[in-house]
Amino acid sequence: MGKKDEDAGDSGHFYHIDKSTVLQEARAFNETPINARKCRVILTKIVFLLYQSETFHTNEATETFFWITKLFQAQDIPLRQMVYLLIKELSTVADNVFIGTSSLMRDMTGKSDVVYRANAIRALARITDTSTLATIERPLKQFIVDKQPNVSSGALVSSLHLFNANKEAVRRWANEVQEAVNNKGAITQYHALGLLYQIRQHDRMAVIKLVQNYSKGALKSPLAYCMLIRYACKIMEDEEAGSRSLYELLEGWLRHKHDMVVYEAARAICNLRDVSSTELFPAVTALQLMLVNHKTTLRFAAIRTLNKLALTHPAAVFPCNLDMENLITDPNRSVATFAITTLLKTGNEASVDRLMKQITGFMGEISDEFKVIVIEAIRSLCLKFPAKQSLMLNFLSNVLRDEGGYEYKRAIVEAIFDIVHHIPESKEFALSHLCEFIEDCEFNKLAVRILHLLGTEGPKTPKASKYIRYIYNRVILENATVRAAAVTALARFAVQLPELRERVKVLLTRCLDDNEDEVRDRAIMYLRIIENEDLCKRYVANESTFNWASLERNLVHYINDDSAHSQPFDISSTPMTTRDQEIAEKSRAVSAAAELSAPSLRRPSTAGTSTARSGQAASSGDAQAGYAAAIEKIPQLSQLGPLFKSSSPIALTESETEYVVTAVKHIFNQHVVFQFNCRNTLNDQVLEKLNIILKPLDEEDGDALVHETSIPISQLVYDVPGTVYVVYSRPGGACPTATFSSALHFFVKDCDPATGEVDEGEGYEDEYQIEDVELVVADYVLPTYVVDFKRLWEALGEAAEVVETYQLTNVATIKAAVVNLFQVLGMWPCDGSEVVPEKATTHALLMSGVYVGGAKVLSRCRMVIGGEGVTVEVAARSKDESVARTIVDAVGA
Amino acid sequence: MGLWSTFLTNLGFLRRKVCVLIIGLDNSGKTTLVANFLHPPPPSLPQKNFDSNNTDNASPAPSLPSTSQPASHPPIVPTVGFSLDRFNYQNLHITVFDMSGQGRYRPFWEHYYGDADGVVWVIDSSDAVRISVAREELWRTLAHGEIKHRTPAAPVLVFANKADLSGAMTAAECTAALGLDAIRDRNWNIVPSCAITGQGVAKGLDWLASELSAMS
Repeated sequence: MGKKDEDAGDSGHFYHIDKSTVLQEARAFNETPINARKCRVILTKIVFLLYQSETFHTNEATETFFWITKLFQAQDIPLRQMVYLLIKELSTVADNVFIGTSSLMRDMTGKSDVVYRANAIRALARITDTSTLATIERPLKQFIVDKQPNVSSGALVSSLHLFNANKEAVRRWANEVQEAVNNKGAITQYHALGLLYQIRQHDRMAVIKLVQNYSKGALKSPLAYCMLIRYACKIMEDEEAGSRSLYELLEGWLRHKHDMVVYEAARAICNLRDVSSTELFPAVTALQLMLVNHKTTLRFAAIRTLNKLALTHPAAVFPCNLDMENLITDPNRSVATFAITTLLKTGNEASVDRLMKQITGFMGEISDEFKVIVIEAIRSLCLKFPAKQSLMLNFLSNVLRDEGGYEYKRAIVEAIFDIVHHIPESKEFALSHLCEFIEDCEFNKLAVRILHLLGTEGPKTPKASKYIRYIYNRVILENATVRAAAVTALARFAVQLPELRERVKVLLTRCLDDNEDEVRDRAIMYLRIIENEDLCKRYVANESTFNWASLERNLVHYINDDSAHSQPFDISSTPMTTRDQEIAEKSRAVSAAAELSAPSLRRPSTAGTSTARSGQAASSGDAQAGYAAAIEKIPQLSQLGPLFKSSSPIALTESETEYVVTAVKHIFNQHVVFQFNCRNTLNDQVLEKLNIILKPLDEEDGDALVHETSIPISQLVYDVPGTVYVVYSRPGGACPTATFSSALHFFVKDCDPATGEVDEGEGYEDEYQIEDVELVVADYVLPTYVVDFKRLWEALGEAAEVVETYQLTNVATIKAAVVNLFQVLGMWPCDGSEVVPEKATTHALLMSGVYVGGAKVLSRCRMVIGGEGVTVEVAARSKDESVARTIVDAVGA
Repeated sequence: MGLWSTFLTNLGFLRRKVCVLIIGLDNSGKTTLVANFLHPPPPSLPQKNFDSNNTDNASPAPSLPSTSQPASHPPIVPTVGFSLDRFNYQNLHITVFDMSGQGRYRPFWEHYYGDADGVVWVIDSSDAVRISVAREELWRTLAHGEIKHRTPAAPVLVFANKADLSGAMTAAECTAALGLDAIRDRNWNIVPSCAITGQGVAKGLDWLASELSAMS
């Protein structure tokens, strides 16, 4: 009974309806005369279904839509409004929704006393596409300046939606919108301001003028002021660092009569880039006043902003400490949580003990989500005051034993992991807490991670043997996933600690009787590995893994290519990542994620930019995967087989020129593809049939490459990037180096910068010289990581070696020489040899890579400073002697 | 609607509410015609008999520009989709579905066939080139299940519009071009008209109203 009531409570008397019945009922719309009351109920049911995420097929939706249009016959006002709502909801699902256009126009241009004019306008905007926009443009313009605020608002919001579809048309209404800002209705002012900004946002001076004009108090709506504040912030964000042209305005708004505006201004100041403490002072004072406000929302907003500010400017928040102390006992637990975590950030070492005690007191009363916030705060606190780590660890292990969901437990475990990584003296203590935790852990994922940590860190502690008992307990008691992880952890102990090896072997032997394949397989494998020192090094001590993105791509390609199945999968073409790299990658991903999630707290407008930023930061492996996916989509290029290597983008023009071009070189089995990313920075020109003409500077070099096709851009408009591909084949898999002179070839057509309309006519032909493109040895070399450089080097033997000595006169230091060699050879540094000690006079650089075609090549460069510049002895070993020769020669070239 | 008329309607003495579908090719004058239904011009305008042969253009009625429409009325623009209007004529309360005639909207007509008690088909009688298109569309409409199997059969009124223009086809010519003679399953009529001045409109409506009233 209880459960049923709960469900019914959610959906009221619509609990039992389903789509097909409702669609049957909807036939009532066809009846004459129309029963308005009945139709309204049916429409409500359809809306209810839509809001319950019920999916309507396009033909269902279209049919329903046409039935609904018949309801325009009825003159019942509530029914009409329901019809508008349905039109809006179905406009995205149904086809041919423009059928309602004239009916809606009739409604909105009707007598001024009907109440639904604004509703009609809003519905009309939804069903309008670019082709019908011209029809409604004139009335819409007229409604923007309508005296009734709701009609004007409706028209403005509709324009805002239409702006995305057709910017030019809406721009023509700027004057009307300007007028609407002075409308009497507060909400209309807000909408008008929003639209005005959308229209002008790319004109910086206009936005500044907009902000300054309306900051003088002509507006009534506090929401409009909040928008102005955000615009002001956006302007300052784009300014050079240090200039604060609009700061005075922000500060002025701190004294506004609406709390909302004051808070928005204070928050804006807190979020300013490189904000100074003098600039922060008035904002923090304003927030401090809010902390003692009787409205909970204000207190919450203020404390949350202070909490965020405390991360970067703890000193600025310090004056609020007293008020925040009072908030710890706030009846609202969310406010209290933020108060305490803020205090943890601003407090000094002495106050930590007291705060910790208070936290322990109310941990049980808050939700998991806030518990996670507290744990995060403690984590950063612990790293700030390492001396307090035992107190913190005690706290963490206590809360670890409490009830809680997965996210909460994960936050705690990760906090402990962090402490283990950064504070070595805490390791033993922390590990023993974790051992205890896995004794009774309901989350497999966490147990596996902890076992992994025990496996890597445990052997390094003085009393390693005591962990073995905990780990083996898991083997006896847990499910298969955890058992398998425990076997791996045990094996690590055996490998790293020879004195325990025999005893662990006994345990592993017992695992051979396990009833799970995975556990047995692992046990067998590790028993074999432990026997052999060499295998140990390769499989257990080696902490590098494959680059997952490219491994996945290569595997997919292998599976899809039937002809490749006769041979085993070649893993050597997949780049490796070391453990250090992986950690660096992970921390970057975390910070990128933080950056991504931050705007949702801050302001949505920056979301786009930060995505772009994190996109740029993606590793080269990801970039290559992106290129490969893009090339796959182009029919002419999809036949070229797997992508071997993509170079990083090279700029061929200055970044401020008329046309900006960057080049990426892709090496395929039998082909070279040059990818030119072009951007047109002139807004009054359209380039058509844009192609890139490559001419080898030296005819002989160019002979080995045969031009196959070029894929031009049919039309390059202002600020929309386009890509030209030029394909050369390498007959017989030759790997020539060459330099090409390159030029853009295109037809220019003038266009109207405001509307983007292209003038009639043929346009004129033009060429634009860009910098030369070079194809070098490094393009053919895929940097790959090898585990044991020395052993491989010896294994290849001197017979496969090519040695030359060169004098590098253009570099003065060893460091510069190393950088130079990386550029020329494009190989992967091994054994940490890329790190050059300061003032070194000699150095040996070890590198590895795979040459196109799959030959592994190793190189050792011994350098000494002497004479003019640096003397380098380059030695390369490879099974294929010509490859070694190519590498060595590349340095000399 | 008064009590008395409700009473009559319920008894079946009067058929008060009827739906009429107005269709035809684009630019044939459907929306203008509807505007004329709603706001009939004063009857003082000289009525010209289009039934007589219209080849002598000695005194063609001036095709009045849109400025001659009542000032309150918005200018006629191409209809997108359809628009609904209601008006009273004689003892009928008529709801007209003014459908858009542009090619891309014609497939949507059929969604509204089910509601139609009568069909008004408008042709541009000065457009001899597209009359064959009109013929095709008309017959497609008449062959549609919702129209064909409707009982009682919906009457079809054809307005040979723009009859005032020089070179316009006469009603007889239009009848032949459209093949109206072949309509056997329903009543039909053709009336030459000028939607701008309102000539001939009343005559057509009278016929339609009597047909619709006769249906019970």
